Amino acid sequence: MTSTNPILDLDRVREIFDLAGSYLVWTGGKYRDDPYPLWHDLRQRAPVQPGVVHQLMGVTDDIGFHGLPEPDREHFSAFSWAACDAAYRDPETFASSPEPVDVESGQATITNSLLSMGGAQHRRYRALVQPSFGPARARWWIENWIDQTVHALIDCFEAQGRAELNVEFCAAIPVLTITGSFGVPVDQALDIRETVSRQPDALIEIIKPIVAARREHPQNDLISVLTHSEVSDEEGATHRLSDAEIYSFSLLLLAAGSGTTWKQMGIALTAMLSRPEVLAAVAADRNLLRPAIEETMRWMPTDPMFSRWLAQDAELEGQHLPKGSVLHMCIGAANRDPARWDRPDEYDISRPLKPTFGFGGGPHVCLGQHVARAEMTVGINALLDRLPGLRLDPDAEPPTFGGLYERGATAIPVVFG
Amino acid sequence: MPGAPRPTAIHVDRAQCMGSGMCIMYAANTFAHDDETKAVVIDIDGDSLEALHNAVEACPTGALALVYESEGV
Repeated sequence: MTSTNPILDLDRVREIFDLAGSYLVWTGGKYRDDPYPLWHDLRQRAPVQPGVVHQLMGVTDDIGFHGLPEPDREHFSAFSWAACDAAYRDPETFASSPEPVDVESGQATITNSLLSMGGAQHRRYRALVQPSFGPARARWWIENWIDQTVHALIDCFEAQGRAELNVEFCAAIPVLTITGSFGVPVDQALDIRETVSRQPDALIEIIKPIVAARREHPQNDLISVLTHSEVSDEEGATHRLSDAEIYSFSLLLLAAGSGTTWKQMGIALTAMLSRPEVLAAVAADRNLLRPAIEETMRWMPTDPMFSRWLAQDAELEGQHLPKGSVLHMCIGAANRDPARWDRPDEYDISRPLKPTFGFGGGPHVCLGQHVARAEMTVGINALLDRLPGLRLDPDAEPPTFGGLYERGATAIPVVFG
Repeated sequence: MPGAPRPTAIHVDRAQCMGSGMCIMYAANTFAHDDETKAVVIDIDGDSLEALHNAVEACPTGALALVYESEGV
C-alpha cells in the first residue's frame, strides 16, 4: 500500500507497530497459534500450577513480559477466574514488586514506577494521576486529542476506498493521543514510541524541555498536571513532584498509553469485521458498540498475563506458593473460564455485562482504561459514520491474531464505499 | 434478578476508594465522583440490581457494600 499520510510516516509506523518485528519479538510477537485451547487444558489440569505460562504451553523460545525472566525465583501460573480474582484482591500477599520502589534514585525504567508500588505509596502516587483518567475526564481526552486525531487519520484514506486499519488507524490513535497529552509535537510522536521501551534515557531527553516549560507556564495538558501535582510523604509533608518522579510517570504513561490500545482496538475491529452480522448490528444501533468493546476485552485482552510477587507464603486454589516466588496470572485464560461464562470461546456481544480482567484488576487496575474505551468508541464510531459499506477486503488475506504476551491483529485490510 | 430485594443503602469506604471509576462504568446512574475523586451515591435506584452487583464486584479495592434494611445498619 503506497498511501501517503501527512500526519505520520506510515512505513515507520509499520515497522514500530509490527507484532512480529524486532520491537515486539521479546514478548512473543512471532507466536501465531491459538493459545486458548492450551489455556483451557492447563486450567483443567490445575487452576494454579508450578511453571511459567509460555513454557507450560510448550513454547521454548526465550520470551517474556511482566515478571519474567527472574531466573532465581520459583514460578507459578494461575489459569482460573477464582485464582486470579483472589490474587488481585490481596495485594499485600500478591505484591507488584519484590522490593520497595525508589523512583528518586533508581534507574529510569517502565517498571521503576507506579506500576510496581504497593500499599500507601501506590495509593499516594496513583491519586495524583487518577483524576485525569476518570470517567468524567473522558470528554477532556476526546475533545482535546482523540476526536481530531481520529478524523485527521480517516481524512488520509477516506478517498482511497481502502485502508489497512491496523497501521493507518489503530496504531496511530493511541500514540498521537498520549503524546498530544504530553505536549509532544506530532513529528516526535514516533520517536517517543521508539525510545520508550528501548532507550528510556533518550525519551527523557525529549520530554525534559517540556517539563521545564510547563513548570513555568502550565497548560491544559497531562504533563502540566504532573508538574503542578503535590505528593505527601509518609510524615504527611507535601512536595511538588521532582523531575525524576515526573520522568517515571511519563515512561509508564507513554509506554502503556501508546501500545496497548493499538492492539486492543485492532482486536475489536477484527472481531467485528470478521462477523459481518455483528458489524451491521453495531452500525445500525450504536448502543451495541459498548457491549462489543467489553466483549472484546473479555474474549481477547491484548495483554493476557500479569505477574505478582509473593510477599509471604500463601495457599491459592490448593497450590502452596512460597514467599519470594512469582505468580503469573493468565487473565486471558481467566476471562474464558467456563465456571464464569457459558460458551466462553464465543464472541457474543449479547452477553449480560459482567466484570472481566481485560483491564486487569485490584488496586493496579488499568489507569487508562476509560481513555482506552474512549479511543476505541470514538474511533470505531467514526469509521462507521464516515466509511459506509466498511468490510474486510475480499481480495486480501483476512486478518489473524498473533503475539503471546502482547496479542493483536496482524493486519486489517478493509474496503468501503 | 427479578423479585430480588433492592439495597436500602450503599456503603462507600472512602479510605479504600481509589477513584478508579469502575463503579461509574457499571452503574453510571448510581455513582459519581466528588471533588476528591471518591465515589458517591447520587441515586440508589439509578440502576438495575445486576448493575449494582457488577459495580461492587468490579471495585478494585472492595470499597463498596450493598446494605439491606434487615441487616439493621
